Amino acid sequence: MQQHEIHHFLERYFEANECSVEARHPSYMKIQLTVELDKLLMNRPFYWHYLEKTGGVPNPMALTLVTGQQTPQDGGGEFIHFGSPRLHQIFASTKKLGSFIRMYESIAQHTGQNIALHPWLCVNMKTSYQCDRKKDRISSYGIHLITGRMVESFHDKLTELPLTRKIPDFCYTLSPFIRPLSGLKRMEALVEQEIQQDDHSWAEDARARWREDEELLDRFYEDEEDKPEYYHVEKEALRTQYEPKINVDIINGGLFYLSETAMS
Amino acid sequence: MNLNINFNREWHDEFIKRMDDDGPWTKWELYNLALEAEKNLSIPDFLGLQAPGHLPQLTFLPHQLEVAKTVIEKMNGKAILADEVGLGKTIEAGLILKEYMIRGLAKKVLILVPASLVLQWTGELNSKFFIPAVAQKKSYVWEQCEVVVSSIDTAKRQPHRDIVLNQDYDIIVIDEAHKLKNKNTKNYEFVQHLKKKFCLLLTATPVQNRVEEIFNLVSLLKPGHLGNQENFDKDFRNDKHSLKNEEKLKQLVNKVMVRNRREETGLKWPKRFVKTIPITLSETERNLYNSISDLKELPQFSRSKFSVLTLQREVCSSREACFLTLKNMLQKDPYSEHTIVPVMKKVEEVTQNSKAMKTLELVQSINDKVIIFTEYRATQLYLQWYLQQHGISSVPFRGGFKRSKKDYMTHLFKNHAQVLIATEAGGEGINLQFCQHIINYDLPWNPMRIEQRIGRIHRIGQKGDVHIYNFATENTIEERILNLLYNKINLFESVIGELDEILAKFELKNIETYISDIMLNSESEGEMKVKMDNLASLINLEGGIKKKGWEEHAAARDSSFS
Repeated sequence: MQQHEIHHFLERYFEANECSVEARHPSYMKIQLTVELDKLLMNRPFYWHYLEKTGGVPNPMALTLVTGQQTPQDGGGEFIHFGSPRLHQIFASTKKLGSFIRMYESIAQHTGQNIALHPWLCVNMKTSYQCDRKKDRISSYGIHLITGRMVESFHDKLTELPLTRKIPDFCYTLSPFIRPLSGLKRMEALVEQEIQQDDHSWAEDARARWREDEELLDRFYEDEEDKPEYYHVEKEALRTQYEPKINVDIINGGLFYLSETAMS
Repeated sequence: MNLNINFNREWHDEFIKRMDDDGPWTKWELYNLALEAEKNLSIPDFLGLQAPGHLPQLTFLPHQLEVAKTVIEKMNGKAILADEVGLGKTIEAGLILKEYMIRGLAKKVLILVPASLVLQWTGELNSKFFIPAVAQKKSYVWEQCEVVVSSIDTAKRQPHRDIVLNQDYDIIVIDEAHKLKNKNTKNYEFVQHLKKKFCLLLTATPVQNRVEEIFNLVSLLKPGHLGNQENFDKDFRNDKHSLKNEEKLKQLVNKVMVRNRREETGLKWPKRFVKTIPITLSETERNLYNSISDLKELPQFSRSKFSVLTLQREVCSSREACFLTLKNMLQKDPYSEHTIVPVMKKVEEVTQNSKAMKTLELVQSINDKVIIFTEYRATQLYLQWYLQQHGISSVPFRGGFKRSKKDYMTHLFKNHAQVLIATEAGGEGINLQFCQHIINYDLPWNPMRIEQRIGRIHRIGQKGDVHIYNFATENTIEERILNLLYNKINLFESVIGELDEILAKFELKNIETYISDIMLNSESEGEMKVKMDNLASLINLEGGIKKKGWEEHAAARDSSFS
């Protein structure tokens, strides 16, 4: 992530969280935090606890973040780069703030006819392939909760549609036949199927490395009838080091009510 | 292929709840930001390093990046990091640790270092690598903190031991791992019991010297890599000290050990300029020296010739150092009054310190930061006073200082004083590379100690050339040592890190005793010279062979390009 990308990300983040931007500069920004964001980012639970007990006037902090060469004239400011703990804290907070959504396709209606919006369940997922090494893949799936049709790269397609938080005029939503939990199960099954078809030489290689080390270990203790405790500890360590596994986590997702032709 | 797929379903329940409650629902922009954040954090490939992108303020040297890649991709995260002193093993370890943490392969981390380095490691991991390491102080830290730095001595003792052995560590880093060479020690046994998923052992001292030691260290990291004891002995052991199939063993060891040498890193090192500065004793100082040398002939000193040797060395440093020793001798043995008191009288007659005068002159002419090394506390105090009298402020430094005091003194020296007067190199991890001048006010008899002194400033980060001034008091034991030992082995020009190998190979760790022995037990000047020559040529021979090997290696490499 380049510095200007970080800058852009931060601007969008604070605006989306309704913080007022007090100073805007290509190289830095000064942000007046909201109470919610102060609690999330500033790590001062005692202050907020005290305030709630005494009923005082909340005074959320202001944050100056520097992303470029220039710093504000009154000095100070935290330099933010891709490795800085503050950015990672902000990244982590987006997971809390942006996990569940419900949106409607925004359809301009001229004929006065009512239009039906179809229920889609979308999830964005991170699949991690892990042994003693690791790789992630991000994917997005949507399932039509009436027909059961599934669509890949669903999020990319959503970004091309006009979406709104409120149901547009003259639109109504169709009730799902498939319960969301069943929808999620069907998507899991699809993901599993796809994973099985993947190339898994990485896992075979990891198992080979594992076997190799285990053979060495066995040879080291081959003369001992009663294996010492640390033989078993070491053996278990090898398992945790090499055993290939795949974890699928949901990043976020939600319900999208879309016109009949939106995903065609 | 049968693979474990684990679906994390925590999200499901919360989603269903929000459906039932009809919200709250997030905004489209926040939803997108969450996905983008995750995209930025996801690891695109099994191979390669992510960490440098997270650490833009650090500039890694090519060999450091190479080490990290090798350890992770070729050694599967179990390795002995054995770069020569000053090439940045700590940086390499931090880089590897960071990489595993970014990839989510390490959360729980244990770092075992010498007690004096706990705070330094903690500080560097936090400030340089943004790794929230915590120094172990209370026993709850083991369980509640994810990255813990501790000394091995604390960790191996109860009640800590049981708690530590119960943790599931993802990475264990052990600094100064050469202390684990002996498998009959408590430390070895403790580390053996730790569950080692990924493991880094850091050591600067090469381990190929004794057959036993390399076997023990590797077996700790990766049991069986060198076979079990029986196979190992059969395959590689010739007798107690020597090896067979050395090439094969080397190959095996290199699969778990990375060792960069200074010359191979291609780094340009600052030049060393060495200058010997002769000191002429004043008449009273000469008298004192002579009367001490005469003590050797007295029957009562026949069995404690060593203390005469010490006194001789002390006179070359300062009358204060010498006086202190005389006083102690007198206290221990009141009967020696008739021999010692006259010498003490001679001490009182000394009116000037020729060396200190020269020091003052030199410090004034350098007009820049200077480190003065002396062997004696009394000299250190005297010099501080003496320089103060002439308007030069100095900072004292001793090995016994607590870590925080060492850091403070370093800070004072850097920002407020021209001179640092140290009685020893200050131990591991003190970096004074902002200074370019060293005065060896008196010489230690162990060349390793000289190397450590110079190593404080001759290291990565030194921007200019390094100047070393050796004081040699004419016609004394000091001058003799300088000529016989140091000038012969070209120590001051040689490369850091070579010497420790040479000395270790010949098990000359007690070189100081060895030299004392030559000094004391030689019947004549000639015999002494022959013995010292032998020692020097022994050291040189080894150094010479290595040098040639390197040149051949370089030549071969060049020809492969042509």
